[in-house]
Amino acid sequence: MNFKNILSEIEKSDPEVYERLSDRRKALQSFGSKVALAALPLAIGSLFKKAYGRTADANGVINALNLALQMEYLQYNLYHTANSLPDLIPPSSAYPGGDDKAGFITMEAHEKAHILLLNDVITTLGGVPYTPKFYNSTAVNPLYVPTAYDFTMDGRYNAVFNDYPTFLVIAQVLEDTGIHAYQGQMPSLFGNTGVLGQAFQIQSTEGRHAAHVRLIRRQPPINAVEIPAPWINNNIPPLTPLQDYYLGDDNTIQVGGVNIATLPDTYSSTATVPQLSATAAFDEGMDSATILSLIQPFML
Amino acid sequence: MEILNTSANGQVAETEQGYNVSRRRFFQLAGGIAGAGVVLSACRRTPPSTTYVGSGDIGLLNMLYIVEQVQAGFYIQAAITPYYGMTSSESLCFIDLRDQAIAHREYFKTLLGTNATKPIVLNLSLSTFADRTSTLANAYAIADLAVGGYNGAARLMTSTDYLLTLSKIATVQARRSAYMRDTLTYNSFADASAVDSSGLDLATQPTMVMAGIEQYIQTKFDISKLPSF
Repeated sequence: MNFKNILSEIEKSDPEVYERLSDRRKALQSFGSKVALAALPLAIGSLFKKAYGRTADANGVINALNLALQMEYLQYNLYHTANSLPDLIPPSSAYPGGDDKAGFITMEAHEKAHILLLNDVITTLGGVPYTPKFYNSTAVNPLYVPTAYDFTMDGRYNAVFNDYPTFLVIAQVLEDTGIHAYQGQMPSLFGNTGVLGQAFQIQSTEGRHAAHVRLIRRQPPINAVEIPAPWINNNIPPLTPLQDYYLGDDNTIQVGGVNIATLPDTYSSTATVPQLSATAAFDEGMDSATILSLIQPFML
Repeated sequence: MEILNTSANGQVAETEQGYNVSRRRFFQLAGGIAGAGVVLSACRRTPPSTTYVGSGDIGLLNMLYIVEQVQAGFYIQAAITPYYGMTSSESLCFIDLRDQAIAHREYFKTLLGTNATKPIVLNLSLSTFADRTSTLANAYAIADLAVGGYNGAARLMTSTDYLLTLSKIATVQARRSAYMRDTLTYNSFADASAVDSSGLDLATQPTMVMAGIEQYIQTKFDISKLPSF
């Protein structure tokens, strides 16, 4: 019997098994040549108990929080750069009447607070907090590591820090992706009430941020062409090439198998909840692999 | 202004008044037989005029169901009688929010089934719907109650299925509150009255959520078995 084959079989039926197990390498390492053959069945048993046990295991919680931390660093670095620029966020020469700076300063402060909080929680749980590439704990501001990130998405959005509407597109995408990430990690936290409660409170702060950025884009003078609502109607992206960041947002089937779009709504012309509202009424989660692939273009 | 909560098919729901009539008749009958106090204590521990919301997960779901009924009623009214100066963009958002709140209300009703509280009677007189400031301020106050309610319930809910549902609606409530706050006072979407210095949004005890939301409801509730954290 080949242990790698067992893992690969499980992977087919449960693509997220490695997230449950922290990662594939660690799973295989723990079954390296040094493990006595006789000890294998017991070791396999404990491995899968760890992955599928009823209570949230510490590694599952730490991995979930580290993914969240990675998102927070990304957002904090975006806002810290943007807020440091004298003429990007209004009032600016392009939008002299604007008053958006205060809002982005608020958001930057929240993302920083989230990083510090998550660092604390992960450390308390016995984990090692995620740090960005080139992280230097002795730097003046260790949380700001602009060399780790490419907010132009490999040159696709070169104007991200020169053109306010472009910056807003990236900000919206990262805020919505942050929510997708938190939603996707919630099941890993279900056994840890304290951490779960704080995760709810963090993700709803992100919900406020996302709504704010979307509202800026909806209103004059930005007037984004797709007319974003503060919430996610269907799976409409700010720009077509960013569609992947909204895959699954058009879902209308919620827990219990209830199709929200078929629920009665006497105020709707169809007498059921309109599709747009049925999708907007629920945010959706994305799993770790999806989130990591979506933030990859922002990482150097 | 008082509007009646309507059921899915548009029929006016059973009202508290109807309940009170039969209650009065009960006391008349009871008074003829024996001392009313004795009968009352023998029958129920809590006054019969209150609506019991339940305990545990059911109690929490009913709390959120009640919050969503208030939100739905609020947006229905705001869409029927828009405040002076409502822009077309705001009007579209209010209509969308109305349908979202109805979706949440009907969803909780479905999840709760026979455990759902009996229909409630709203009292939205706290809001002057013709007035922009009053409408937006009440809308965000209710949305903040909802945010705190969902985040608080997350600490108490035992069913993981329901936790997932709570999570997915909680961020939408936060989006809603942010929108109302920004529309009333720009850049107040996540100010210190909503988000603390650790970047944490509201998380409210269920009994406090009920105390806040009862300002918009005529029905009185028995919340004695609601869990707390």
